[in-house]
Amino acid sequence: MTGAPRIQFEQVWKKFARGELHDSLRDLVPAAVRRLAGRGPARDELSGEEFWAVRDVSFEVRPGEALGILGPNGAGKSTILKLLTRILVPTRGRCAITGRAGALIEVAAGFHPDLTGRENVFLQGAILGMKRSEIKTRFDEIVSFAEIDAFIDTPVKRYSNGMNARLGFAIAAHISPDVLVIDEVLSVGDMRFQQKAFDRIQELCTSGIPVVLVSHQLERIASLCTHALLLERGRIAKRGTPTECIEAYLESARNSESAASHTSALTFDALSLESELPVRSGERAQFRLSGDVRPASDAASRDFSLRVRALSTGRLVFSASAADCGASLPARGPFEMDVELQFNVAPGVYSLELAVWDAETRRDVVAGPGVTVQVEAGALTFSGTSHLLPRARVVAAPSTAAGGSR
Amino acid sequence: MTDLVLTRDLPAPRRHSLWSDLRQIAVDELWKYRELLYELTLRDVRIRYKQAVMGFAWAILMPALIVAAGTLVRFAMAYMGGGHVARDVIAGMAVKALPWAFFVGAIGFATTSLTGNLPLVSKIYFPREVLPLSATFAQSFDSTIGAVTVGIALPLLGIHYGLAVLWVPLLAALIFCVTAGAALFLGCANLFFRDVKYIVQVMLTFGIFFTPVFFEPRMFGPLGARLMMLNPLAPLLEGLRLSVVEGHNLLQPLVIAGKKGAVVAWSPWYLAYGAAWAVLGLLVSVVVFHRTEGKFAEYV
Repeated sequence: MTGAPRIQFEQVWKKFARGELHDSLRDLVPAAVRRLAGRGPARDELSGEEFWAVRDVSFEVRPGEALGILGPNGAGKSTILKLLTRILVPTRGRCAITGRAGALIEVAAGFHPDLTGRENVFLQGAILGMKRSEIKTRFDEIVSFAEIDAFIDTPVKRYSNGMNARLGFAIAAHISPDVLVIDEVLSVGDMRFQQKAFDRIQELCTSGIPVVLVSHQLERIASLCTHALLLERGRIAKRGTPTECIEAYLESARNSESAASHTSALTFDALSLESELPVRSGERAQFRLSGDVRPASDAASRDFSLRVRALSTGRLVFSASAADCGASLPARGPFEMDVELQFNVAPGVYSLELAVWDAETRRDVVAGPGVTVQVEAGALTFSGTSHLLPRARVVAAPSTAAGGSR
Repeated sequence: MTDLVLTRDLPAPRRHSLWSDLRQIAVDELWKYRELLYELTLRDVRIRYKQAVMGFAWAILMPALIVAAGTLVRFAMAYMGGGHVARDVIAGMAVKALPWAFFVGAIGFATTSLTGNLPLVSKIYFPREVLPLSATFAQSFDSTIGAVTVGIALPLLGIHYGLAVLWVPLLAALIFCVTAGAALFLGCANLFFRDVKYIVQVMLTFGIFFTPVFFEPRMFGPLGARLMMLNPLAPLLEGLRLSVVEGHNLLQPLVIAGKKGAVVAWSPWYLAYGAAWAVLGLLVSVVVFHRTEGKFAEYV
């Protein structure tokens, strides 16, 4: 039971302090006296400048599972990674990793500029917990992955940023860990190397070891993870499948954007899908929405946008105003509206959203309800994100090629 | 979906005992990460000799300068007192200058070893002990070169090695322990309080006047000699000189008649005192280091 590699996080709390800590002996003496006099704060309590960066977070990742952690900046994602990798110690609770932990975090941190690439590979490997013999056997693999064969005996200070990062990534990606923790290092090097790095990460993620991945790139979480957590201000706001969490993340991002004002004349009550799920790629789907228009509003302020978003990436696939779609709302009173969309998109999970957009502030002023649409492979065969209704024919060809049919 | 909601009670906080801490440091950290210790030592040595014109002469320069300075001081003293500087005085200074240079070098590098490797300390986990320890080991590499040089040079100054030279390995080990203990403690202290490195600089600059390198403790009279020997390094350095230069067995006391009464130049208790500092100092430093380690990334 305890033998299998796994990542455990049990009711972990982590406290940080704002502002400066004591940095010199001069500051320590008064603080120590205060504590001795019994006036200092207890260990588990918050004093003036302190706050909880991580509050009561629990999860467990077992072999074959990959947990994606998402959330806005400052939600505690990086703190959780640092707690996992033992750089920080929790204030309360327990976190444990069974097995050798590999971390793809700040991959070139241990490099010394005066040492050559070769020397740094051994140094960085040792810092990451590899044995010398192990590094030796994988050395060629690491160097060719980083694509710096010619420069391996050059001091690292003469490397370009890209070479530095590539070598760092190559080392970290070859530790053959029991469990893996990944921070957003996926954006290393140029586009081609990024793809290579991503392929390597995918390979590691699907090799059956427990993985924790933190990223702002929702696409990555959607494609690599089996489970996900949404963090908000140190707490777990949602746990579930990556798609559920991404949906919740986008939802909360939308709400926080639009919470500011209610100056629009429009309110939405409901939005529902009338067609059957799943929708096939290339087919049409019907929606019904209802809302209310407050009196004394001009036509422009009664307009709203229909948007379709790919949940796996959070990317906007389609957006158009209701007026552009040919619907004009009544001047006042409740209304119901039918909307039909043709999903010329790749299979995946999408959401239809309604929002009133203010051109002046360039923000959503009202966020309506959303509905999730599952799109499955259908009659359209293509790859990519959208179907562009292609039409192609041959207009010129060598005459000899067609000789047989003449 | 697995049962992610854990309803178990909070595990009890881990109780620290001195023994469990030491075991953890020795087995879980230093032994498992011995290759890292090796790599970091290698790194420190390499960096020191890379792009350095002097190369290995560097390892001898510092002790040689100390001996030169000491010779100057002793020459002035001998001139005032109407004597001359004997060759074994210079030999004695050479024997003591080497460990002093080791101490100064190691402490100098170790104090800033944690703050100087900031990206490592705040980004990657490994037992932090290896940083000040590798600084100390790297300095031992230099000192070993120096020791070989001094070992060859002493017979040229007319010193014949006796059986008492067998004390050298023990004394060297104790000096290493004192240095490693101080290195861990100061490295850790400097991480929390940045003014520590300035204090250390001052101490290392003037420490040579409170440590018997240029002179012997017995020159200070009966009480002065004892006070001088309170410095943890003093009995170890003086023991080195006595065993190498004077061929004195350190288990035997050495009492010298002076103008103001007999001076105890050596007693086996001095050795015990120095050894106690070395071992206990290292233990305390290691435990202090280990218990504050968890806060490093937050404070650095």
